[in-house]
Order: sequence, then C-alpha cells, then structure tokens
Amino acid sequence: MSDKEIFTVRQGTDHKELLIPEGGRIRKHLILEEGASATIVLLAFPGMDCGMDFRVELAGQGASCRLSGLYLCPAAETFDLAINMLHNVPGCRSHQMFKGIVSGTAKAIFSGRIVVAPDACKTEAYQENHSLLLSDSAKVDTMPQLEIYADDVKCSHGAAIGKLDEEEQFYMRSRGIPEQEAKVLQMLSFLSPVMDMIPEGSTKDSLVSRIEQTIRYSF
Amino acid sequence: MDNDILLKIEGLRASVEDKEILKGVDLTVRKGEVHVIMGPNGAGKSTLSSVLAGKPQYTVTGGKVAFLGRDLLAMSPEERSWAGIFLSFQYPVEIPGVTITNFIRTAVNSKRKALGEEALSAAAFLKLMKEKMALVQMKPEFSKREVNVGFSGGEKKRNEIFQMAMLDPVLSILDETDSGLDVDALRIVAEGVNTLRTPEKAAIVITHYQRLLDYIVPDIVHVLKDGRIVETAGKELVARIEAEGYDSIG
Repeated sequence: MSDKEIFTVRQGTDHKELLIPEGGRIRKHLILEEGASATIVLLAFPGMDCGMDFRVELAGQGASCRLSGLYLCPAAETFDLAINMLHNVPGCRSHQMFKGIVSGTAKAIFSGRIVVAPDACKTEAYQENHSLLLSDSAKVDTMPQLEIYADDVKCSHGAAIGKLDEEEQFYMRSRGIPEQEAKVLQMLSFLSPVMDMIPEGSTKDSLVSRIEQTIRYSF
Repeated sequence: MDNDILLKIEGLRASVEDKEILKGVDLTVRKGEVHVIMGPNGAGKSTLSSVLAGKPQYTVTGGKVAFLGRDLLAMSPEERSWAGIFLSFQYPVEIPGVTITNFIRTAVNSKRKALGEEALSAAAFLKLMKEKMALVQMKPEFSKREVNVGFSGGEKKRNEIFQMAMLDPVLSILDETDSGLDVDALRIVAEGVNTLRTPEKAAIVITHYQRLLDYIVPDIVHVLKDGRIVETAGKELVARIEAEGYDSIG
C-alpha cells in the first residue's frame, strides 16, 4: 500500500490532473485554498484490480473541485473507489461524476461521502454514480453518503445501476446498425459525459480512442 | 406470381406481455402504393409497425409476413433495414453523446457492408447528407447535434424523415409521424415523404388524424380495430371516418 500523497492547491490557482491507475491502491489527499480549483479525471482500464482513496478538503472560501471518472471492468476486475469530499468553509462547490461498465464477474464499489461542516453555508455539492451492469455475475455496490450540518446548501446525489436500454437498441437496429455495434454506441453514449471531461491536449484523442477500443473489444 | 407485391401479411397475430394485440391481420402492399392505417386508440396500429420492424419485445404467435418474397419474421431488425424496411418512430429515441453524423454514417455504412458494397467516402457521405437534410429543411449545424437530444417534436420527426431519405428504403412505415407537429412541420415532413415516392416503392402511413392525409394522398385506406383490419377502401374512406367515427365501421 502506497503512502498517502498530500497536495495543496494554492490560493487562486487551478490544478488539473489525469489519473490512470495501474493496479494497487492509490491514496490522495487534496487541500484547496481560497479560490483554488481542481479538475481531476480518473480512467480505470481493464485487466487489474485497483482502488482509490480520495480525500478532498475544500479549505478556503470559493474553492471548487470537479472529480470525474470512469471504470471499465469487463472480466474479473475489482474497482474500489472511496471519496471523502469535505466542505469545511462557506461558498465552495464540488461536482463528482463517476460512470462505469461492469461485466463478467467483475465488481465495482463506490463509496462517496460528502460532509458539509456547520458553518459551510452556500455550499454546492453534487455527486453522481451510474453503472451499467452487463452480466448476472458482476456486482456493483454504490454507497452515497451525505452529511450536512449547515443550512442554505445545495446538495444532491444520484446513484443508478442499469442495463443497456432496449428501446435505444431497437431504434439503432431498425436503422441497420448491427446489434453489437449498437451496444458499442450505447456504451460510448453512456460514458460520453466523462470522456468530455478529459482535459484537452495532446493525449485526449489517444485516450478517447483507447476507451473506444476497450468498449469494442473487451465487452 | 404477382411481381408487384412488396409486402404480404397473412393472418398475423402478435402479443406483448401475454396480451394478444394483433388478432389476424391481412395486408398486401404493392409497388407504388401508399396505404393508410387508421383506427381508434389501442387498436394495434403501433404494434403492427413494431412487429414489422422486428421489435424484440413483441411475440409473433401466428401468421406469416413475406417481404420481397423473403420470410420477414425470421430476420433481425437490422436485416430488415438492410432489406429495405424503414420505421419512422412515433417517439424517436434520444441518444446522448452520439452525433447525427456519426449515427447515420454508422447506419448507412452498416447497410452498405451488409450488401457487400464499399463504405461511402467522407466526401460522398457529406454530400449525400447535405442533400437529404435540405429535403426536410434541417440546418447543416444539426448534423453535429446529439441524436434527438433536446429536439422539439417537429425536429425529431424531421430527423426521422432525414434518416429515411439517407437509407432509401423500399417500404417506409410512418408511425403517427404527424402527432405533435404544427402545420409548418407537418407540411415539411409530408413534402419530404412525397419527394421519396416512386413507382418502385411503397409506404404505410399510420395515423389517427385526417390532417396528414391532406398532404400525403393515400391509394388505399384501412381501418384497424381490435387487432384486425375491418375495412379497406379508397381515400373516400377517410372522409367517412371523419364524419361517422370508427363505431359505424367494420
């Protein structure tokens, strides 16, 4: 198990990070000062077990944090993500969006805790965790947890576990798109909000194409 | 042997969730014909169109359907599309994250591949798309939008007719294409459909209302009631339905 990495995003600065785990457990502790912002995108590809502990402290007023991620677990992977989003002071925003596709005998665990401290009014905190469960032997555990001790906050969380939509599939097939290709398009459609969050730059295209290839050939 | 026959439905029975909806439908569609199927709510109109397009949630319990001499009921939805059947949905489905361009290119090239043809070049595809979008007055920037996401009712139906034009079907089935359209959108959709009429093709128009038929003039009108076609006549039947309702028919 690796040591916890502590990183401070200084006042008024912007931190962007792309995380591609290569197995094992990653622990991160992020502290955001006044007016700081952080955008973190996590991409978990198949073929390994991985875990992440994420602790984010919104420690200065007006700080904002956006955590997005996807997990692709087609076979026997275990993906385990634990998030602690701590709104310690007023006027901060956090937005979490995690989406994954789980098949075979793989397992995905998401535990997302949002804590809004007693004087952290004007907090905005959102969390979404959606999984597609493609086999009967695969498993998804999603555990959202909201602890709100302040008034005047906007918080929401949504967790959903579903299958590929049959109406969508029939619509595409009725246009001549073969069943397997329709499923690929559906999975990409499902993941697109997270893919949109990958920071623009030299690696974005190759990451998007790696995701597409994984969807096409591993599920 | 009647070489003009495109579609021959005989004694078709179908159910959904163990409830029988179609109770023996007979219908023959020949080249060049436009058929209209009218009928009260719950008569089975949408079920008939879904069964013809191969929707997996419906179970065919009897009868047979031949399309261009082939057993339609043995074909998957995509095979039916490749053979030349197109269903315009009453409620087109939204597909977030997939652009119209990407969607229709996948559809067009899947069909070409299935028929043993080369994929269209990017230039040829874009030219075709531009031409067909103009047919239903869709602006070029529409091609970058996600399929049906945030579209108005009229935009969704125009997108259906655009896809129909791109796929160039032999038999088009329009399921309540007029529902939810204002007069302008109705005219655009109808003109799109009329432009695609040729002596080699045919259409089945399923509708509740007469108003679409002011623009698309049918050759044959059927009334579907309680899972059966109870009356078949020329376009004069539309006026009779309008005047007398469905109670006196069949």
